[in-house]
Order: sequence, then structure tokens, then C-alpha cells
Amino acid sequence: MLLCDFHIHTKYSDGSVELRKTIDLYGQAGFDVIAITDHVVNGDNSIGKLAHRFRLSVTAENFDEYISNVKYEAERAWNKYEMLVVPGVEISKNYITPEKSAHILIIDIKDFIPACMNYEKIFLEAKQQDALIVACHPHHMSDMSRDTLFLWNNRDKYAKYIDAWEIANRDDVFNVISLKKYPYIANSDFHKARHLYSWKTLLNCKKDIESVKHCIKHNKGVAITLFRN
Amino acid sequence: MELFYIFAGITIFGLIAYGLQIWAVRSTLKKNNGAILQHSNTPYPPISILKPLKGLDDNLFDNLASFCTQDYPEYEIIFSLQDHNDPAFKVARKIRDKYPEKNISIIVEKCDTGLNPKVNNLIPAYKASQHGYVLISDSNVMVDKDYLKEIVKHIKDPDVGLVSNIIKGAGGNTIGSIFENLHLNSFIIGSVCFLDRFLKMPCVIGKSMLMRKKDLETIGGFKAVKDVLAEDYVIGERIHKMGKKVVLSNYTINNVNEYWGIRRFLNRHTRWGKLRWRLGGIKYFSELLGNPVFMSCMPILLWEPSRITISFALLVGSVKVLGDYYLGTIIRKNEFEKTESSHSINSIPPFYYLLSPVKDLVIGFVWFVPILSNTVVWRGNRYIIGKDSMLSPCPETGMWSWRYRLVDAIKARIA
Repeated sequence: MLLCDFHIHTKYSDGSVELRKTIDLYGQAGFDVIAITDHVVNGDNSIGKLAHRFRLSVTAENFDEYISNVKYEAERAWNKYEMLVVPGVEISKNYITPEKSAHILIIDIKDFIPACMNYEKIFLEAKQQDALIVACHPHHMSDMSRDTLFLWNNRDKYAKYIDAWEIANRDDVFNVISLKKYPYIANSDFHKARHLYSWKTLLNCKKDIESVKHCIKHNKGVAITLFRN
Repeated sequence: MELFYIFAGITIFGLIAYGLQIWAVRSTLKKNNGAILQHSNTPYPPISILKPLKGLDDNLFDNLASFCTQDYPEYEIIFSLQDHNDPAFKVARKIRDKYPEKNISIIVEKCDTGLNPKVNNLIPAYKASQHGYVLISDSNVMVDKDYLKEIVKHIKDPDVGLVSNIIKGAGGNTIGSIFENLHLNSFIIGSVCFLDRFLKMPCVIGKSMLMRKKDLETIGGFKAVKDVLAEDYVIGERIHKMGKKVVLSNYTINNVNEYWGIRRFLNRHTRWGKLRWRLGGIKYFSELLGNPVFMSCMPILLWEPSRITISFALLVGSVKVLGDYYLGTIIRKNEFEKTESSHSINSIPPFYYLLSPVKDLVIGFVWFVPILSNTVVWRGNRYIIGKDSMLSPCPETGMWSWRYRLVDAIKARIA
């Protein structure tokens, strides 16, 4: 089984660990597949503007640099740890109310997707890039983080676009995903080194990007584990 | 004012002791290895490296990999774990796959012969080892490729029974790991070298111990230390009593600590403190007296914060910062001279040495804990530490067991 984490932030957005150190942290711990998914925040309201001002978001301007650095590190990680590193982003649509907010992981992204586009456009653009779409922390969370409930509340409309839902995020487990029998994965939402020890995904597939995406989409050979030291 | 003079006197004593420690480290690092040259023509013997693994240490992959790239004719590496679900198992397997040309085996065996979990982990590895020399090496150390050749030079001398190494803290991205590395590179390294140079006392730290199997078996093997907390110290002491030399090699090895929380730092030094209190008895008090920063702050806490007490504490703190920085410099210089160091683990950045007095102050308070508590929680189990660090299970029932249950309940509540 491949030990995987598909939701990791670095200093490119609001993570506290640099990209290279993040890769090493996971590589040293024996992970097989990870996705670097820094925030791309919508800049169409004051919350988003603040995120852009404090450089807590990947932007259209630095996207290419971000992707090329992730790819460079991915090559290093493969040569050293035989760990597959996939470039991604977390499209973060933040609003005052949790009911309007949603975060979406776009894994294996190729071109920049602005977060201020509407949901359909984001999903279609991601599909066009053959990227994986994951709804993150779709239900109520236990910590101080702001809930992002939009996708769950509008699941009848949007579920068809979503390849997998986070059934567990760091310390939270969202049993509603299981009840609805949606495809699932579990991630750490890594921001600090200590977040390494949290919910993770186990995949029973080959260690290459197409097999990983196929495994998640079809949700066969997927398990979750609480990774603890 | 008398109080101030008393503590100032103790502080000056502490600073002198600290100066002697620096001197001991300097002279150990510059130790003349001429005595071992007479055995330089003897061939290098095959070695079994025993690596007990438990959980993920910082930098685990690189630590284990550094043992697979040794410039040494014949050696085997045995990774031993207690169960397949240990996260270190996956890392060990990756290392074995990365170096297929090396003689690496992974042993997963639940062994509960004794109370010391590290010894329990070592027993199956020892049984599987094939060579006449065994090197016990902790999973949190990283070495250069000439490490084995350097330490084996000593054991070629038939009078030498055990070789251990100077440990240097490396890495450090969080306050806990910075404290840990500062402490390893000042108090721990200073004390080990001081005991070795001036008191000729073997003070073995289990992160690197090279022995002959027959010597280990003469002292009773691992089973003789299965219930001992300080198995490294006791093995060193018994080999010394057997009439063999216990050598502290001047070859420094890295103990990589990168993402420690402050709680982990406090837990380790509380445990080590309890161990030294049980082993050293009254000598343990010299550690407090030898902490000049803590002693210089006592008049502020016990008397009053005045210009003279604060100035004195600041002066002592500055001396300690400079002393620790100097120690760090000579350790780093020695490493460059000896190994043409090629690995990427950083030494402590100069700015971090400013935290040294804060760490000493914290350690000063930690010093009192062993006096008040004789139990230790190690890898999830609580034990009572007896004489010579002998462990016994903590009673879950009985008249005095409420104390432990209360402490556990408070800790759980805080967590």
C-alpha cells in the first residue's frame, strides 16, 4: 500500500515550512506519494485581498515559478526517496459565511486556475487539465478553522464534478461522506511539522500519477489511516 | 546581600567548572591517536551494526542511509523493530531497497524479555548478528562514510573493550530542537569529556557503542541489562570493571534533532536527570552547582531584582553564550578537519546561541524533578527507577499508586 498525503501547504501560501524542507520531512518519514497544494485564494473580496497582500496565496504571477520549483523538488524526491510529488493547488473561495465558502484541491494541475471563477468553470478547467478534483474539509471542523460548507450543502449540484471528498482532514473525520458513499481520501492539511501525524490515505496501486488518480477516482483499493509516531 | 555573595560564589565555581569542561572537550577533540597506530596494520574485522528502531526520528531516512554508505570492507546492518505497524518499518524497507548491494536485514519480533524497550529491541537483532563485533547505534544518529574505520581503529587494540563517540546535536527548526542541540553541544558533551579526561570515568552514551561479542557475553549479554534504564552506562561500567578500556573516540557523530517540541525536550532531560540522580546520588547536586546561569538568577528570584543582581545574571549569561559558541566552533572545526564533512545537516546558527542562557534556566528547574519523582514514562510505560537505574513496573493498585494515577490524569487533562 502506498502511504499518501494530498493536502500539503508550504511557505508559498500559509504553511510554516519551506517547500524543500516539507519534501524532506515526508521523504524522511517514508511516504510514497504527496501532493503540494498551496492556496490560490479568491481576490474578489476583502478576505482574499488580505491573503494576496500578505502573500498567503499563489497568484497568476508566481504560479509558473511555484510549479517549476515543485517539479524540481519532485525530481529530487524521486531520486532520493522514491517518493512521488504531485503539483497541485487548493482553490480557496473564502467568504464571511461558512455556507458560501469552499476549498477545492486540484491535484496534478498544469495551468493556473483563478479562484474567483465560478465553481463550474473551475471544475471544467480542472477536468480539461486532467487534474483530480477533491472537496476538502467539506463539513464542520472541530478546531478554530473556519468551516467551508458550500460544496456539501450544494452536493446535489456539484458532486458530479468532484473526484473525491476528504473523509478525514488532520484530526477531523466527516462521517457524512461515508454515509453518502462518496469516493474518499484522508489528508493532513499540513501547515506545521506536527501536522505530519494525522489522517492519511493508503492506496493499493502503482506508484505513478495516472495510477494514483485512477485509484482515487474509482475508489478501489483506498483506505485511510491515522498516522502516528 | 549575603545571599547574593553566596550565589555569586557558587556561580563563579560553576563558571570554573564550565571552563574545565571546555578544556576537556578541546583536549578530547585534539586527542593524539598515536597510541592506536601500532594496530593500524591489523585488518578491519567484520562488524554487525544493530539498529533498534521505534517510531520516526527526525531525519530517519538519511540517518539510516548514512550507515549504508560506509567505506568499510565487510559489515551487516540489522534493523530491528517490535512490530510491522511501526512507521519506521516502511523507512527501513525503503533503505534496504535503495541499497540492494548491502547486507541489510530487517527483523520484526515482539520481544518482552525485559523492561527496557531498547534492550528488548536489541535482543532479536543480536541473536541474528553474524560477526564477532557488534555496533549498537541509535536511529537518530547520522555519520560520515569513514565512521566505521575511525572507531574500529580503537577496538583493534585487544585491551580496549568498548568504543563510544562524542555526540553533537545537529539540525534544529523548532525551539525544542534548538534547546536540545544547545544542551547536547554544551552540558552533555562537556560532562562526557570532563569525566573521561579528568576523572577517567567511563561515561558511555548508547548512541554509538562498539564492542566484541565475547566481551558483551562475559558481562552477561543484553539480558544482564534488560531491566536497567541506563543500559549504555551500565554496559560501559561493567566492561571497565572487567579490566578493559572504555574509549571515548574523538570522532564526533551527529544526533539530528529538527522538529522537537519543548515538551519532548523537557521529557528527555527529566528522564536523563532521574537516571543520573539514581546513578550518581549525591554527585547529582554538582550539576545544579555547575549551572552558572541558574545560580546567577537565584538572587533575583530569592532576594530582589536590583541593578547588581540583574547585571550579574546578564554578565554570566553573556559568558555562557560566548562559551557555548566557542564550544560549537571547536566541534565544527574538528569535524571539518577530520571528515571533510559532506552531509547537509547544519550546525547551530550563531544567533541561536543567544538562547543558551534561557535553556540553562529551564534545565535548572528541570533539575529538581528527579528529586521529587522516581518514576519514568518511557515509550508509553511507567516504571519506578531503583538503584543503578534498575526498573520495576509501576504498581497500578496499592497504597501509593494513587500518586501515579493522579499525575497521569493531570497530564492527560493538559494534553
